[in-house]
Amino acid sequence: MTLATLVLSLADNKQMLGLRYAEWATRAPSLEADIAAAAMGLDDLGHSRVLYGCLQPLGDDPRRQERETDPGSYLALPYFDEPWSAWAQFVAANAVLDTAFSVMIQACVDGNVEVLRTRLRKMISEERYHFLHGRSWLKAGIDQEPLLEAWRQAIEWFGPPDGDVAELHGRGALSMGPAQLTARLQERLETAAPSMEVDWSAWDPMRRSSRAGVIDERTFGMLRGLEEKRFYPAGA
Amino acid sequence: MTHRQFSRVHADVREYEVFARKLRIEPLRQIGSVVAPDDDLAAAYARATYDEERWIEMAIVPTDAMTTLWAPGEDVG
Repeated sequence: MTLATLVLSLADNKQMLGLRYAEWATRAPSLEADIAAAAMGLDDLGHSRVLYGCLQPLGDDPRRQERETDPGSYLALPYFDEPWSAWAQFVAANAVLDTAFSVMIQACVDGNVEVLRTRLRKMISEERYHFLHGRSWLKAGIDQEPLLEAWRQAIEWFGPPDGDVAELHGRGALSMGPAQLTARLQERLETAAPSMEVDWSAWDPMRRSSRAGVIDERTFGMLRGLEEKRFYPAGA
Repeated sequence: MTHRQFSRVHADVREYEVFARKLRIEPLRQIGSVVAPDDDLAAAYARATYDEERWIEMAIVPTDAMTTLWAPGEDVG
């Protein structure tokens, strides 16, 4: 996988995270949490646009025509395939996955690729508030199942110990490899990752996960603008 | 000052006053308040709720950390 494909994965994940956050803007447990969900959703959708904008300067835009028709061509994690049905899923994504993406962004900012060093820096300061929000709700206690799943997908997203991220780290494009990224994530969340076995032979290097699946049809339709077209007058 | 007691999603929450300013020459002024169980969430809520304007500084203070000298309707000093 190239650096551009990793940035596309980050962009697709940020886009889906933003959409899933936004879906909770009227469903969170308090008015303040509603507003925070909406604000974080806007932040992450904005971040995804910045990340997509980095693909061309990286000289290797991996987006292909099939993104118009094939939901399987999106690189977001399976965690975002379906709308979340429980607040615990929101909190686990906010605390673990959002922070995992931030840790990767930090690795890009501290790496040797100029376009990433300059354009991604502002995200780090905005993400501070996502982190505070996630960590606080996590401390309040949530169901373990979504939390374990978020940890698994975060660690899988960092990639195998000797895989592409390790290679990008070796070249200096990223300041951290998979082990350091996991360590930084644990350090930020002040907790050890749950012990787990990852079957890297089943790992999909594009979606960066060993879980199968695709974005749900409604969300994919929304991404492609199809949802709005359904409400056009006939023949428009 | 009488502090409101809240019992909502979290068992124990505090009210925080939010202060901000747009220019260095301006003093901080109170722009609103948020309710949260801890400083972290209060900071996240304050930023999410009041970030629409271009503040150069924003700060939060727990309402119960403020000492009221006098209030409307009370004698000065």
